[in-house]
Amino acid sequence: MGRHRDHLVEGSDPQLSVALHPPASDAGLRPVLLLHGFASSTKLNWADTGWIRFLNEAGRAVLTVDLPGHGASAAPEARDSYSPSRIRADVLQVLQDHHVVPLREGVPASGVDIIGYSLGSRLAWEFGATQPELVHRMVLGGPGSGDPLAEFDLAAAQDLLAEGTPIQDPRTAELMRMARLVPTNDVFALLTMVEAVKDEPFIPAEAVPRMPLLLVAGENDDLAATAQELADLAPHAELLKLPARTHANAVTSRAFKAAAVAFLSA
Amino acid sequence: MAELSFPLPDLGEGLIEATILEWLVAEGDQVERNQPLVEVETTKSAVELPSPQAGTVVKVHGEAGSVIAVGDPLIVFEVPDDTAGIVGTVPAEKAPARRVRLSAVLDDD
Amino acid sequence: MSETLSSPLSPAAGDGPAASAPLTLSMQGALNRALGEVLEDNPKALIFGEDVGRLGGVFRITDGLQARFGAERVFDTPLAESGILGMSVGLAMAGFHPIPEVQFDGFAYPAVNQIVSQIGRMNYRSRGALPMPVTLRVPSFGGIRAPELHGESLESLFVHVPGLKVVSPADPHQAYHLLRLAGSMPDPVIFMEPKARYWQKGPVDPADAGALEGARIARPGRHLTLIAWGAMVARCLQVAELAAEDGIEVEVLDLRWLSPIDADGLAESASRTRRAVVVHEAPRSSGLGAEIAALVTERCFNTLKAPVERVTGFDVPYPSGDLEDEYIPNIDRILFGIQRVLEHRRG
Repeated sequence: MGRHRDHLVEGSDPQLSVALHPPASDAGLRPVLLLHGFASSTKLNWADTGWIRFLNEAGRAVLTVDLPGHGASAAPEARDSYSPSRIRADVLQVLQDHHVVPLREGVPASGVDIIGYSLGSRLAWEFGATQPELVHRMVLGGPGSGDPLAEFDLAAAQDLLAEGTPIQDPRTAELMRMARLVPTNDVFALLTMVEAVKDEPFIPAEAVPRMPLLLVAGENDDLAATAQELADLAPHAELLKLPARTHANAVTSRAFKAAAVAFLSA
Repeated sequence: MAELSFPLPDLGEGLIEATILEWLVAEGDQVERNQPLVEVETTKSAVELPSPQAGTVVKVHGEAGSVIAVGDPLIVFEVPDDTAGIVGTVPAEKAPARRVRLSAVLDDD
Repeated sequence: MSETLSSPLSPAAGDGPAASAPLTLSMQGALNRALGEVLEDNPKALIFGEDVGRLGGVFRITDGLQARFGAERVFDTPLAESGILGMSVGLAMAGFHPIPEVQFDGFAYPAVNQIVSQIGRMNYRSRGALPMPVTLRVPSFGGIRAPELHGESLESLFVHVPGLKVVSPADPHQAYHLLRLAGSMPDPVIFMEPKARYWQKGPVDPADAGALEGARIARPGRHLTLIAWGAMVARCLQVAELAAEDGIEVEVLDLRWLSPIDADGLAESASRTRRAVVVHEAPRSSGLGAEIAALVTERCFNTLKAPVERVTGFDVPYPSGDLEDEYIPNIDRILFGIQRVLEHRRG
């Protein structure tokens, strides 16, 4: 489902794996687009964690997309395929293909809600800022004002893959560990994405989403330690902290899901 | 009634244990098959485990932070004796219904 | 009924503390109890198969047995029926009494080689030096809305193999005693459990087995003999009840042992009632009904008032669950079969 066939926003078909998950009983609200994190996938970030089921049970139609080089999407050679701006354009195309129409007052099915996690939150932040007429509300999980991928030590990662040399930078080491744990991950595609992100690092103040935002982070999430700074940039943002949770395990939290559904239904 | 115990399932990719993050059901709860039971975290990811069974929760093993090995007991259900197997359903016992009537001349023996 | 079995019969009735009042058990419970007692009686008896150990079987038949007898005697196997039955051959050669389970009828197909070319003929091949005391439990037949290969009737396949015994119980009491008997036999027995009847409860008298050889008259009658086994026995008893409302006294013969088949028992009943209808779930062509029709005709040709009628499944693969009520002989189809026999006039 959802393969791009024509009228592409960008020139070539990115061959992203897109899926629509309709609820058994539709609440009549706009769809919820889910954007997963780096080295994750729709399956790991949203299906195995129970998000798709939870949103469906709340009557929400869910639209998922695997980022390039991730999950069931293609892993092109070209670095441009992985740039955040290209991904945002492809996401816009996905929404158009699914007949998402601009927000209209009094039409609860118009527009789209977005839930992002980690890198997906960064992409959502920029997408919401540039597409205010489409995006109704957003929930940003594990967010920060910094850019862990921009700080990623690419040379060390390449040395690890080529020579087995251990990585010194702990964040780079952890991201590589996560990337290599999932056998279906294409590690070389992920490193290409890191290069592309370094070309377009996250500068949240450059474009600020003005719709209501719910930022959610585990209390022990190092990567989201700067979530409050991000919240302070936006005019309508609130921050929810999840006790005892980390960047890796906040994603399954029932409190997170319940808060997200309530926030998006408002 | 019978008690059915389920171990922590194999979570794939050589993972040998998981840490309980949060139980989503409590002892005494009635749960449906595939209802989320518990959040667990492995070295790879955090996942919600769906229930393999409908029934009443008799016991849950471990609390938030406990590490459970794959194959060790996770949850015990109480289920009615006429619970269906993992495949198929229990046939309904219903009064026999018929449309055909018999007619026979049996006196020519 | 005739003596058609060469093996030790009824476990001595009333021995030990088991001799108590009749119990009310489901067929699941009756089979579980029988297996526990077989393991208690024979330290060489072993239970194994897919999910029979830790889980206690997908139908709970082996529930609690691993906890009671240990994982060396009750254990899980890989998902490989050829391996389960191949291992049974070796264990039987080494002096054990394997009680393997094939989780569903249709999963026996991958093990046909081991069952037919080894288990069925090893005793013959070795001139009795290597008997095969293998009790193979197979949850069988349809009726529970299960997917493909979970509703097969394999009796024709197995009764055609010399050296195998094949038996199918119809109620909890029969299930308990027939499994205890099968589990003590020196010969390979295919034990076909009617899974549609697993949950129905009934009286089980552990102390009084009754005769276990050959067929059994489940309900006496004088106008017509209705022959069935497994889950079809209960349906035929319902039909007999309805036929009685119309003044037709139907005798229901529960065949029980499909191999060796109780030819004398069949002939005895059919020669009294002079009419016979056989009912089975398996497809009609070359089904066991054909053998029964032939046996009854050979022995009762001059007394029969009509050809033996067959009410069976159709010559198609067993259908998906939502169509199985159309496939399995239902009450009306059985009544039609009876009516055809009643109406028959010799030209």
